[in-house]
Amino acid sequence: MSSVQTEVLLQTLISGLLLGGLYALIGIGMTIIMGVMKIINLAHGELMMVGMYIAYVLFSAFHLDPYLSILVAAPVLFLLGVALQKFLINPVMNVDSILPENQVILTVGIGMVLANLATIIFQSDYRQTPVSYGTKAWYLRDLWKHSPIELSLSMPWSVSFAFAVAITGGLWFFLTRTDMGKSIRATAQDNDAALLMGVNVGKMRVITFGLGSALVGAAGCLFIPIYYIYPDIGGQFTLISFVITILGGLGSTVGAIIGGLILGLFESLTATYIGMGWAPVGRFVIFVAVLIFIPGGIASLLKSRKLGK
Amino acid sequence: MKRLSVIVTVLFLCSIFASALFAADSFDLTIPLPLTGKQAKFGEIMKRSYEQAAEEINAKGGIKGKKLILSFEDSSGKPETARAIVEKLIDVKKQPLIVGEYTSSCAKAVAAVAEERKTPYLVVASADDDITRQNYKYVFRQNQVNAHYADAFVSFLKEVVQPKTIAILFESSAFGTSGADAMEKDAKALGIQVVMKEKFETGAIDFKPLLSKVKAAQPDVIYSVSYANEAQLLMKQAKELRVDAKLYAGGAAGFAIPEFIKGAQDAAEYVISATLWTPQLKYPGTKEYADKYKAKHGDYPSYHGASAYAAIYVVKDALERAKDWTQNGIRDALKATNFKTAYGPVKFEDKEGYQNQNFHETLAIQVQKGEFETIWPKIYASKPYVFPVPAWKERK
Repeated sequence: MSSVQTEVLLQTLISGLLLGGLYALIGIGMTIIMGVMKIINLAHGELMMVGMYIAYVLFSAFHLDPYLSILVAAPVLFLLGVALQKFLINPVMNVDSILPENQVILTVGIGMVLANLATIIFQSDYRQTPVSYGTKAWYLRDLWKHSPIELSLSMPWSVSFAFAVAITGGLWFFLTRTDMGKSIRATAQDNDAALLMGVNVGKMRVITFGLGSALVGAAGCLFIPIYYIYPDIGGQFTLISFVITILGGLGSTVGAIIGGLILGLFESLTATYIGMGWAPVGRFVIFVAVLIFIPGGIASLLKSRKLGK
Repeated sequence: MKRLSVIVTVLFLCSIFASALFAADSFDLTIPLPLTGKQAKFGEIMKRSYEQAAEEINAKGGIKGKKLILSFEDSSGKPETARAIVEKLIDVKKQPLIVGEYTSSCAKAVAAVAEERKTPYLVVASADDDITRQNYKYVFRQNQVNAHYADAFVSFLKEVVQPKTIAILFESSAFGTSGADAMEKDAKALGIQVVMKEKFETGAIDFKPLLSKVKAAQPDVIYSVSYANEAQLLMKQAKELRVDAKLYAGGAAGFAIPEFIKGAQDAAEYVISATLWTPQLKYPGTKEYADKYKAKHGDYPSYHGASAYAAIYVVKDALERAKDWTQNGIRDALKATNFKTAYGPVKFEDKEGYQNQNFHETLAIQVQKGEFETIWPKIYASKPYVFPVPAWKERK
């Protein structure tokens, strides 16, 4: 492989990894909701859109850095998620109906309402937050003069990635080390057993929905410095997180992290070696392939390895 | 509920009667254009320009003594919405003439409706070649066709840049695809090797894999055709990756509006774009229009605005010459147009397989110190061109 080809490959892998890290954060939010509630939250992308608009408003009104706006967006989204669960989804869960997927349909409706509210408030214009470090990057040749290849690492992308890793780490700590985190995992594993063990399942559901919303809201703030927003942006991210959730195995946090990274790398490699126009096609090829060949997702692969030992 | 609908109906009828009553001393023109959505920025520039022209005309006594009253309908850049708006304008409002729209997809939809209902339609800034190549009798286009969009830029390539290789990147829309095809043809005619021709989806986030491939191919010129958002992301990420070429170029639209410089910031510097008009042109009224626009809105208008501004004058000219203000009367008058505007001379010709097409000179502009400067053809240049452009590494 010539040095030029190596450079293209490495640069593609870097892009894919950075994109994958961000995808993972979006996917995790949907996955933990899926794990506890057993429903796919199809308003996920719209919740991210709300987070992005919060960052946008804070930036244009107070010049608050999009990364700092996580501190505002995540709590707001948490409360929004809690309210949605408490006042809209919970009541629907208790109603007997012909369709067991009532709540899923409800989340679609919530998504539409959020998108249309955003259209009314912000118009469907495309907006950005032109941050001063928007195009800053670090270069390999600046650090090591005689490097045979040149690689670059975009500053906003790397910072967003670092935040995504930190938030994921924090979530990991919360789920494995705290009492409440353990209760959430217990609810996800077996609803009835958790109930018998004295876990307040109803409360866990509410908190989980809030947590999932807060995570995707934070992801929205991380996307703002590198992308733009418009009210209908949610759909494309709901789709991405849906693919990641299926790929990772429904409800598996580790699965979602690996799934996000795989999707990011796969999209970048497709863009480089097949064609950028093919990236959306690749996404669905993965989706269908996983459903057919590994219906349990990455989580099932991990589990079978563990059992095999 | 029932009562509400009755009230609404009554109000609606009242408004129809009212407009019919006042029609005697005014000419109403409703213009469809994108005011929200992805193309909202273009729509905004055009709306301001239409209004500016109408104000000037009304201040000087209107059209044959009638006041020109403009109103706007938002199509959000969606062909189906544009189509519905125009059907309503022709069938319900009986408007004898349609002006406007922006994206090629919308203009195509509107053109089909207008032709079917034998109503003249003046296209203002939609580029796709096919719009005036379908033997339509009622569709007129004031702006240049996509095949010729880059004429000035191509002559700049031929005389100054003389590149050996070119990479063409384009958005997968009607405008992007036809622009890329036109450039490929031009490049082949000049003997330039097309090392890459690749499309990307609208809404793409990460262009870096694509750009690192461009970097490896080391083309002399990188030419991209897209609307606003992707143009900015592309240049920003090209800077991040230090994709160096002798020249970065864009095919009008997203590369030729002030938002490009605002969004891409320093990454926009030295980018050359094809364009159809610049404020530095010496046509009668050009400077007045551009200065007045800038004084009011803070930026110079792009070619979209100039064409919209001129379109209102073309309409005025046609209405003044028309035998009667019927669809056919206005069509015949438009066909005979030979009129000088702030956008340039306007004349609708049938040639090269196009019908009712205004062929006019195009230009090339370059971003220099955060401003668009006209650089080609030389006679119109406001600043000398910068070529070859400095490598990213050497820029501070």
